[in-house]
Amino acid sequence: MPKIKMPQQTPSLDMTPMVDLAFLLVTFFMLTASFRMQEPVVVDPPTSTTIREIPKQVFLITVNSEGQAFIDITHAAVKAKVFRSVCKQYDIKPTDEEVLKFTGAGSIGMSIENLRQYLSLDGNERTKVKQNGIPYDTTGKKGQLYWWAYYARLEAHKDFKQREEEAKNRKLDFDKDNYIQFAVKADANAKYDVVKHVIQVFRDAKVKQFQMITGLESKPKDK
Amino acid sequence: MAELNSGGGSHHGGKHDKKRAKKQSTRVDMTPMVDLAFLLLTFFVLTSTFSKPKVLRMIFPEKLDKNNPDVKAPEVRNGITLLLSGDDKLYYYTGALDEKAQLETIDYTKNGLRKVLAERNLKLINKLKELQGRMEKINEADTAAKNKVDREVKAAQAASDLVVLVKADEKATYKNMIDVIDEFMITQIAKYFVVDEGMAPMEKELIKKQGK
Repeated sequence: MPKIKMPQQTPSLDMTPMVDLAFLLVTFFMLTASFRMQEPVVVDPPTSTTIREIPKQVFLITVNSEGQAFIDITHAAVKAKVFRSVCKQYDIKPTDEEVLKFTGAGSIGMSIENLRQYLSLDGNERTKVKQNGIPYDTTGKKGQLYWWAYYARLEAHKDFKQREEEAKNRKLDFDKDNYIQFAVKADANAKYDVVKHVIQVFRDAKVKQFQMITGLESKPKDK
Repeated sequence: MAELNSGGGSHHGGKHDKKRAKKQSTRVDMTPMVDLAFLLLTFFVLTSTFSKPKVLRMIFPEKLDKNNPDVKAPEVRNGITLLLSGDDKLYYYTGALDEKAQLETIDYTKNGLRKVLAERNLKLINKLKELQGRMEKINEADTAAKNKVDREVKAAQAASDLVVLVKADEKATYKNMIDVIDEFMITQIAKYFVVDEGMAPMEKELIKKQGK
């Protein structure tokens, strides 16, 4: 029997398509990713079968299971204006730098007096600060949360009007969906009574419509 | 594994070695690149939030001014009242709250709340289904016909005489409330109200009795 000589070759595999694919996926995920903001509080919202998507611009009210309220506004310019107005209400004069820091700070859940000190910290130190929610009053007195809600509604309306005007002047289509809406993200295990109190504060500030943020649940099939 | 480019290729034809320039392999080892690419890929897959959260719209009307004699809470004729309590307990009764009010215990499942609501709302559900069927037959471009059906949907919803009241006590969770409102969406209840004041003392009594 003749000896069969196997060719001595390193088994070679062309990696190029694999690299192509991998980078394609990387690019896709990079471009579609929307990063999670650092949130001072993590809540687990309940699920529902609704398919309505969250509005583009929201005033986000986060309520944790203890009923502490945290707020955030996705629209930076409006957020800065609301911050200035609330500061004025409490006779605080923030510097421009503080306002800028505030707009980038994500969700906030503390009283306005403590806010300046919090803003002076850098990102790493901020996560260590325990936030106890924005103080509010359930007996109808105007607490800090009320003023946040009040000025947010005011500024949101102004922003809406201003953009409407602008669109009219430039003869462009006006995108109504960009209106800042009030969204509530509450923990599933929070007591309804507690969430109701927070909503009540906003109702006192004449906010009527809320978007309740929920997780997705599959729709029941028709029989 | 990719080919390693150690050594200058194969050594055939020893005779011509001196004259020819040494043939260098042009292949680059791709393995580290693949490693890097997949590392980045993993990072982005894990950090990106894929599905946008969904929202359930709730409208809270302005509070009734109790001092104003002209403003009255609407009278409810064909109504059922849902009572939400702790430990995911759910009760309902039909009609007005009086001595005859009979509390029924149900739950949040498909055969509980949804069945009760769907049975009572059958008229509207069927009407909406019929209108939906008509809507599908309409040509895309025919906006006038579409608007007409839309108006009929609104009219059907306004004409619905079923009113559902929701009352929660201190122990009910936010999840319970969202579940109930979600069921309203599924069973297409046109008129429902979340009562601000919560439960009346008598309703609490009824629940207590029911629990025994």
